[in-house]
Amino acid sequence: MRARAVAGGIVSSIAVLVIGWQLGGQPAVTAPSQSTTSGTASGSGSSGNGSSGSTASGTGGSSVSGTFTGDATETRYGPVQVRITVAGGKITDVTALQLTDHDGRSVQISQQAAPILRQEALAAQSASIQAVSGATFTSEGYTTSLQSAIDKAGL
Amino acid sequence: MIDTARPTAHPFTAPPATEPLAVAARRRDRSRRRRSATTDLLGILAWISAAVAVALWLASPGSHSVVGIGGWLTDAGIVAGLIATDLVLVMLVLAARVPLIDRTFGQDTAIAVHRSLGKPVLYLLLAHGALLTLGYGASAGTGPIVETIALFSTPDMPLAYLGLGLFVAVVVSSLVAVRRRLPYEAWHVIHLLSYAAVLVALPHMLSAGSVLAAGTWQRAYWIAMYVLALGLIAVYRFAVPFVVTVRHRIRVVGVEPIAPGVVSIHLAGRDLDRLGARGGQYGVWRFWTATTWWHAHPVSFSAVPGRDRARITVRDLGAGSSRLGRIRPGAFVSLEGPYGLFTSRARTAPYLALVASGIGITPVRALLEDTDLRPGEATVLLRGRDAQQQYLWRETADLAATTGSRLFAMVGHRARSRATWMPEEDLRRGVTLLSVFPRLLESDLYVCGPRAWSDLVVREARLAGVPEHQIHQERFES
Repeated sequence: MRARAVAGGIVSSIAVLVIGWQLGGQPAVTAPSQSTTSGTASGSGSSGNGSSGSTASGTGGSSVSGTFTGDATETRYGPVQVRITVAGGKITDVTALQLTDHDGRSVQISQQAAPILRQEALAAQSASIQAVSGATFTSEGYTTSLQSAIDKAGL
Repeated sequence: MIDTARPTAHPFTAPPATEPLAVAARRRDRSRRRRSATTDLLGILAWISAAVAVALWLASPGSHSVVGIGGWLTDAGIVAGLIATDLVLVMLVLAARVPLIDRTFGQDTAIAVHRSLGKPVLYLLLAHGALLTLGYGASAGTGPIVETIALFSTPDMPLAYLGLGLFVAVVVSSLVAVRRRLPYEAWHVIHLLSYAAVLVALPHMLSAGSVLAAGTWQRAYWIAMYVLALGLIAVYRFAVPFVVTVRHRIRVVGVEPIAPGVVSIHLAGRDLDRLGARGGQYGVWRFWTATTWWHAHPVSFSAVPGRDRARITVRDLGAGSSRLGRIRPGAFVSLEGPYGLFTSRARTAPYLALVASGIGITPVRALLEDTDLRPGEATVLLRGRDAQQQYLWRETADLAATTGSRLFAMVGHRARSRATWMPEEDLRRGVTLLSVFPRLLESDLYVCGPRAWSDLVVREARLAGVPEHQIHQERFES
């Protein structure tokens, strides 16, 4: 009789685990989708976080100014989205609109990582920045969103 | 005072008129199959609940793409915590005295399973804490100490550490070596902390745990499990005993010393026959006097309760029990129960073999009283250390005579020459369980007495080939 219980327990547990596996399985970072509503080069986004900027028609390279909102990047611990402020073709500020906030631990991590990532981005003037250790997902989301903002600014 | 308080059988639990053997056999077979199927089903449910705990993680985003050593450590820690918490809730249900569990495999078996889960749960919880600290540390590139400090500053985490500490205290105090040295009350108070531990551990699961994040079905399931387990505790450990106590208003009417250190406590109350107590069951009694109210005593009914009378018989086992002899008539009594599967309801075989030693006579006597017996169906073996340790033997002999049961007595200290439940003299004469109970293999064997002694009886029965389902052992401890 005990054998029956153990066998039944194992079989049904495996079934439950398989169902659990099927229910899960979103990848950790999805590529930013181009159809994201927020963050077109001009005009306003869905939550007032839209970009506005102008490309100066003057001569001598780019002298873009304004704010540009990157696409929201979905990560395992929640979406990440940044907005850059550009003055004269230079990134002068990076604001995090959304950071990984899936749970208490993620909030803690993103609060630690955001200032570091911002400093790196301002120094590098690009999205080629080092990931903050311990904040892999936040960093990946941050750089992806940053890159899309830079693309929109046409820098 | 004494004889008037003597309980009598009542119609409510009195068995039907003797049924034909074949009918009884079919009924017992059906009832055994049903209990065995329910037992297996409950076991499978426990397995499934643990599997669901893992599935919660499997179904959460990101479990399919764990990155790096830190990620693996972290996720192993999360799974360990989920399984541990699920098992803690299973332990709560096992200790909740749910009637279905008691009727199906008995509260003593439930507690045995509950105990066997204690240490694995503690290891899982410690692994949960250690793996997550190392995992977070590895991801952040910091050491475990820095990470522990960081975790302490995370909301709800200090409470989680408190819960872990409480669990350690509860399990350590329940280790056999430790528990033996602790007074029962001290152990019990520490054990009650497990409710606090379960509750203070919850906030960090909901706020810091990514698996149980707000708005997920995982979170709803987890909270439902908590409500179920704590609800069963609240209903069956607190509400039902309270209602039983208030409804039946049990009071002590007399305390009768029947041997040195042994008293029968005669009780009066309302509608005691409607307690539904079967012969062989026990209750957890609390006598509300200044010196005894803080100690609950698990004690068997020593007779089937009548309409307004009941009787229990207690031996001076511990500090609390010795005070029971001095309880005055009129003392108010609260009751949790009746519990136990040491009844004729658990029978599976055509014959009945009853073995009792010392104070273990009490459920055996009540069982004999409450069983519908053909002449020759039951055989009783009473065991006592000496002439004094023969509690209730006379009335048991009377019951045996009226039911046409055979009765044997075996008196003397256990032989020291080898591990046996018999005195030296009987051992030398070549007495065995089979010589006392020639139909042992077609009998239900009910054994009640000191743990070490009754284990030896059961061992001999198993060696003689008695199937497990025919062996019924009442364990007198805790």
